Amino acid sequence: MISESILTAQKVRLRPVEESDLTHFRRWLADDELRKWLGSLDKQPSVAEEFDWYSAKRQDPDTVLWSIDSTEGALLGNAELRISVVNRRAAVGIGIFDRDEWGKGYGTEAMRLVLDYAFGELKLNRVELATAVENVRAVRSYEKCGFVREGLLREHCLIDGQPSDSVTMAVLRSDWQAR
Amino acid sequence: MTVAGEVRLEGELVVLRPRVDDDLPLFARWHGDPDIRHWLHMSEMPNQNMEVERQRWQIARSDPTRVSLVIETLDGLPIGRPSSVGIDAAHRRAELGIAIGEKDHWGRGFGTDAIRVVLHFAFETLNLRRVELITDIDNERGIRAYEKCGFVREGVLRAKRMRYGEPLDMLMMSVLRED
Repeated sequence: MISESILTAQKVRLRPVEESDLTHFRRWLADDELRKWLGSLDKQPSVAEEFDWYSAKRQDPDTVLWSIDSTEGALLGNAELRISVVNRRAAVGIGIFDRDEWGKGYGTEAMRLVLDYAFGELKLNRVELATAVENVRAVRSYEKCGFVREGLLREHCLIDGQPSDSVTMAVLRSDWQAR
Repeated sequence: MTVAGEVRLEGELVVLRPRVDDDLPLFARWHGDPDIRHWLHMSEMPNQNMEVERQRWQIARSDPTRVSLVIETLDGLPIGRPSSVGIDAAHRRAELGIAIGEKDHWGRGFGTDAIRVVLHFAFETLNLRRVELITDIDNERGIRAYEKCGFVREGVLRAKRMRYGEPLDMLMMSVLRED
């Protein structure tokens, strides 16, 4: 579903995704470098594919999706939780799509907001993710937010056609409460 | 189900054949048995009955990323099911779930044989590079069978799922094509 919650920190604001955001997402997804780290798309989605993605997310009760804005109101990317209610966990995905805005701490702040929501509002036990080990900047950001490395997944993904290891990471409710 | 088609996979102790609609009562019985259910990832879902099982099957059978098979003994008795859930074609990997639903066939090598058959199919026919699974950390019998088939431990996922309302760690394992 499209979250109705607006979450605000110093640099970023998470708000409901609007249809007008899709053009921007799609334009950024033409960037090979960005898609490489997202790991799920081998080419830029078409207008129809982007809209299908949006409507699928909107209908899925186990997904929560936000757009990430800077507090000045510039769209930066999106954030998503995919929840398993019975197991009280979620997988998280944060993407700062605008490459000019990388390295400024937006992703880290957005992740902290999503974790607060996951543990505070949704009362989950565990939030997890897996990313390519080469994605050093992201791993550093996740560790700042309290994620712990749990395992190395050998040849988990293909990046530019080459097998590449992933690191699987998670933050538990108890880690988050102790922060 | 599209990938398995009319496959018939033969091992030393078992034959794997495509799942059909008539298998429904069998699956409902296996998934409803508390001793089987104990180890299932879905054990916290509302208790299995024919209607729930039918809905799950409707989703599974039309999911092109899923292979649904039934394990039979050489004399044609259905004893369990493997399922390659979530074949990720882009990264050429799959997740394996397997259960021997007939308890009197536990500990007799049927599961191990079935896993070997599925791996052969995954690597040789589906041309995958990696097959992964997660299992309850205390599933010693399962873990032993997986290790016999070449699976390697990659990490412990803390509080990955709930069992009887309590958080439970799970073990991440995988086998690569070259293993």
